[in-house]
Amino acid sequence: MTGPDGDIDAPGRPARGAEAGAATPHLRGYARFSAFTCLLVLFPFFIVFLLLGLYAIAGVVLAAGVVGALAARRRRPKSDRPLIVFSAIGGLLVLFIILPILNLLFTTDPARIVAMARDASVRDALALTLSAAGIATLISLLLGIPLGYVLAREEFAGKPVVEGIVDMPVVIPHTIAGIALLFIFGRAGIVGAPLKSAFHVLLSDSYWGIVLAMLFVGVPFIVNHSRDGFLKVDPRMENVARSLGASRLGAFFRVTVPLTWRALLSGAIMTWARAISEFGSVAVIAYYPKTINTLLFEWYNFFGYAYTKPLAALLLLVALAIFVTLRAVAGLKRADHDRA
Amino acid sequence: MIGLERVSRRWREFAIQDITLEVKEGQYLVVVGPTGAGKTLLLELLLGIHHPDSGRVFIGGSDVTGLPPERRGIGMVYQDYLLFPHLNVEQNLSFGLRYRRWLGERIRKKIDETARLLRIEHLLHRYPYTLSGGEKQRVAIGRALAAEPRVLLLDEPFSALDRGTAHRLRGEVQSLHREKRLTIVHVTHDLAEARQMGDSIALINEGKLNARGTPEELLRCPPTLFAANFAGAPNLYKGCVEESGGAIRVVAGPIVAAPAPGNGGMPHVLVLPDEVTLLPGLAAPGTNLLRGEVTGLRDEGNYVSVFVRVEELAEPLTVHTSRQSVRTQALGLGALVTADVRKAIHVLWD
Repeated sequence: MTGPDGDIDAPGRPARGAEAGAATPHLRGYARFSAFTCLLVLFPFFIVFLLLGLYAIAGVVLAAGVVGALAARRRRPKSDRPLIVFSAIGGLLVLFIILPILNLLFTTDPARIVAMARDASVRDALALTLSAAGIATLISLLLGIPLGYVLAREEFAGKPVVEGIVDMPVVIPHTIAGIALLFIFGRAGIVGAPLKSAFHVLLSDSYWGIVLAMLFVGVPFIVNHSRDGFLKVDPRMENVARSLGASRLGAFFRVTVPLTWRALLSGAIMTWARAISEFGSVAVIAYYPKTINTLLFEWYNFFGYAYTKPLAALLLLVALAIFVTLRAVAGLKRADHDRA
Repeated sequence: MIGLERVSRRWREFAIQDITLEVKEGQYLVVVGPTGAGKTLLLELLLGIHHPDSGRVFIGGSDVTGLPPERRGIGMVYQDYLLFPHLNVEQNLSFGLRYRRWLGERIRKKIDETARLLRIEHLLHRYPYTLSGGEKQRVAIGRALAAEPRVLLLDEPFSALDRGTAHRLRGEVQSLHREKRLTIVHVTHDLAEARQMGDSIALINEGKLNARGTPEELLRCPPTLFAANFAGAPNLYKGCVEESGGAIRVVAGPIVAAPAPGNGGMPHVLVLPDEVTLLPGLAAPGTNLLRGEVTGLRDEGNYVSVFVRVEELAEPLTVHTSRQSVRTQALGLGALVTADVRKAIHVLWD
């Protein structure tokens, strides 16, 4: 499922997840509401878009510059030659990533991208994707942060196994994950069947099925980011907080969380981005309602790639906006947080 | 006031084994021991971070073994300060006060009082990363004291500071202890610090309480072989057990000691350098009258160390004597002397 469409992920990210999850309840009105909020949230991103072109061009120039500068420096001792060769190879890789992206952005008629953004089916699919991804992210925060904390603080038998399981959605091909999920959450599955008979909730071909698939592929990011964040807070700092009268939970919320909010936020953004770009498992579990990736895949199949290009460019802009936000968050430095 | 009763706890590579320890109200106990002896674990058992595998923890006569740290009323100060980096000094100081349900004005007063006490008034609005090591440790101590703990625990509090700062802060903590009648348990690996700070020293080795006493008792006359070695006591000689005429005695070279209560193993003979009397010239032979030659003198400030080589003794005997007697007895290099060690002998067992 890695067509030219599935993957508008940020460059250089480890791609591919699969899905896992939790049975989620039966609230359909939420879909529309959160679609709206997600769109609202997205608006500031469009401002960033303008800067993006500059950012990307600067990237290419920088890569070429590094390669050129290294190659041109005759003064470098012979023993540094491998370094120069490595730089040249690296530069090629950087170009390999950035060229298709720039090409897509700059060879697409902006008017057609705008027109695409006005298309009702595109807007519906985009809203659906962003909101389902948003809900999957919220659920992953609720489920993932406690696990991240336990993994950071406790030593127990089987911990490597648990950590391995958490990472599995990253390596399992997502179509397979989709099928595996269907056997549990599908209409005949051991969780899906009772859900259907008791609550008339169907996960296959439904909004919540999409959320489920997105949750499965996104969860490793929030668990790992929060665990790494918690690891950076000395547990003895929590001991001090407790000696001063804070309960364990109090110490967690008054000391640990304020010191890790950046890791938690970047984990959430990664999860959200991964969920938005998910196609394979989503398509298996819920081809309808169509997410933006499903739509793009369908158009590509029926109308060919030229027709799909403006939509792809639009999605690329969305993904890049998320990526830039992520980098900005990761780069945020309050000195008092970073130096003890 | 605070104490452990037969507490054992094994955690990672550290262990506390069957330790019973009591600190009286207003006492300053220093827990000393080599790295890895389980000193920090001991503090965290008192604090309640660790739950003993067996045994009980007491504070003020009541059993607090099952109480979590937040309900024990114990202050903790770590070597590396661990100030809350997202809070400024004032917020750090008031962290524990939120749980006291005090009125804002009372909190305000407490912060001012604490800041004055530790002379950090000018730092109240600064963030921890802008502070020097000494300032951070003052804030850390202030943060613990502001919450009015019943006991203050200090875990190697001066080890990360430069000499001068550490020296100043030691003095201040001592006067805090005296003025506020604080009960303090202070952990260190530095015996000199222990001697300076504590009214009582507990020596810990491999998770066990090895010795306990005033600095005077422990250092003048180490009660255990480990204490003698840890304190770097001179005149420690390996001995062996001999039987003669039905009586058992311990012999190390020319030194003969009465049978002392021991728990098997190898006996060692310790000669306390302060208790030896030096007699000029070679006296008539007698039990524990060691005849030898002065091979060195070292001025130690208040007293003089005289090194006497004695035949059959592995190391020269160290004797502490006054400057005056060095002069009057003409103790110079090569002088022949007799060391009367009869009142200076202690037998320690492995």
